[in-house]
Amino acid sequence: MATALHRELYIRTDSALHRWAVRPKLLSLLSLMFAVALIRHVVVVPVALLGVLVLYGFARLPLTYLWQRLTYPGLFILAMVSVLPWVSGETVLWQSGWLSLRLEGLALAGLVVGRFLAILITGFILLGTTPFLDILKALRSLGLPSLLTDMTLLTYRYLYDIAEQLATMQQAMGLRGYGYRRQTTRQRWRWLAALLGTLLLRSYERSQRVYRAMRLRGYGQVTAGLPSPDRLYRTSPTTLMATGCTLGFAASLVLIEILISHL
Amino acid sequence: MHIPDGIIPAQVCAGGYALTGLTTWYVLRQIRRGPDPSEAVPKAALLAAAFFIGSSINIPVPPVSVHLVLNGLLGALLGWYAWPAILIGLFLQALLIGHGGLTTLGVNAVMMGLPALIARGIFQLRYPLGARLPLPWALGIAGFGAGALGIGLAALIFFGVIVFTIPSEFTLTTERNALLGLMVAHIPLMLIEGTFTTLLMLFLHRVKPELLKSQGG
Repeated sequence: MATALHRELYIRTDSALHRWAVRPKLLSLLSLMFAVALIRHVVVVPVALLGVLVLYGFARLPLTYLWQRLTYPGLFILAMVSVLPWVSGETVLWQSGWLSLRLEGLALAGLVVGRFLAILITGFILLGTTPFLDILKALRSLGLPSLLTDMTLLTYRYLYDIAEQLATMQQAMGLRGYGYRRQTTRQRWRWLAALLGTLLLRSYERSQRVYRAMRLRGYGQVTAGLPSPDRLYRTSPTTLMATGCTLGFAASLVLIEILISHL
Repeated sequence: MHIPDGIIPAQVCAGGYALTGLTTWYVLRQIRRGPDPSEAVPKAALLAAAFFIGSSINIPVPPVSVHLVLNGLLGALLGWYAWPAILIGLFLQALLIGHGGLTTLGVNAVMMGLPALIARGIFQLRYPLGARLPLPWALGIAGFGAGALGIGLAALIFFGVIVFTIPSEFTLTTERNALLGLMVAHIPLMLIEGTFTTLLMLFLHRVKPELLKSQGG
């Protein structure tokens, strides 16, 4: 995971989606994700994907941003569904010996991959157009307990530091011979347990210092007010338009699904 | 072992969120009963970050290597705080690297978090065990149980969700065989996770026993 973390989450540019107030944006995009998750017919998938890609275009996020983030989860989902066209369904499209490509399995794989891509791209739109801190503030304003938002912020803040610390410790371990010296599996496991243990220990000791510093700054003493509501739920023509279009599109997907189910 | 977006129906995702909401309410209530709930927040947050980074460490199991899930260990070390730690970890993984998903966050939290809470209970057995056995033995046995059951129960929930929600085109026999095969494949992983948790507990017992005592809630 450490190597897969990306630092540039928020893309600083000017687009309608960047100007969209955070709270309605969060709620609208989550509704869209759930509407996509409701799709059960593969014919609806291209509509969902097209709509999401149009939204991505409006967000003016670079394609490299999408590509960098899609690679890892994309390979994962492909590995998961690649077996479906060969084992699921009755209608054989192509056969060679015991190996047969089946229509129903192929459609199911397409449905799963399509839904996955549409939801994931929607998530990237949210992340690329909204600073992470604003997402947390919006969640807090929606009633998420402060303990959860505080923990999320601290975890996020130290994630990169701890990843770098682990990389340094692994390098030091390598310099002491791990991976180069002849070792039994048992010895290697002891080294790795000590590595993870030390990482936990350092994090624990650091957390004591962080807590003392937070207490000195008044943490737990006063209830911090929510930030200025302006960026969170300001009503502007852009916000109204974006919220209306996204929710309308999500509702259309659900409606199409219902109509197809009754055909 | 996360369920990505798009795999399971929206109804199951909504059910996962409902169960997660209920568990979060209960867990936060338990945490708030402690003397100073905010005191353990930085500790839980930094340890959660360390756990999620630590789960990327390759563990050699010749001829391959595996990644640990560490949910049992999280439950054993963080107690009630393991639930918010897992929930936040899954949220960040879904957002930052697209691992898991936002629609499946509830289901994944139940899958990883409930076994962690059970692992917390199992790790408490070190006290009655410690009355009869030397402390390192009691710690090792309780740690092994917590680590192994953490991943074992998570695997059970994972395959349960997948098998009961995926394709109607699969025959019952195919489903049963797939479930059985995958469950059997997870037994060695349970042993690995349990053994590694034991080693880690013994390391922490030698170096910083305080970390094993303060369970934050």
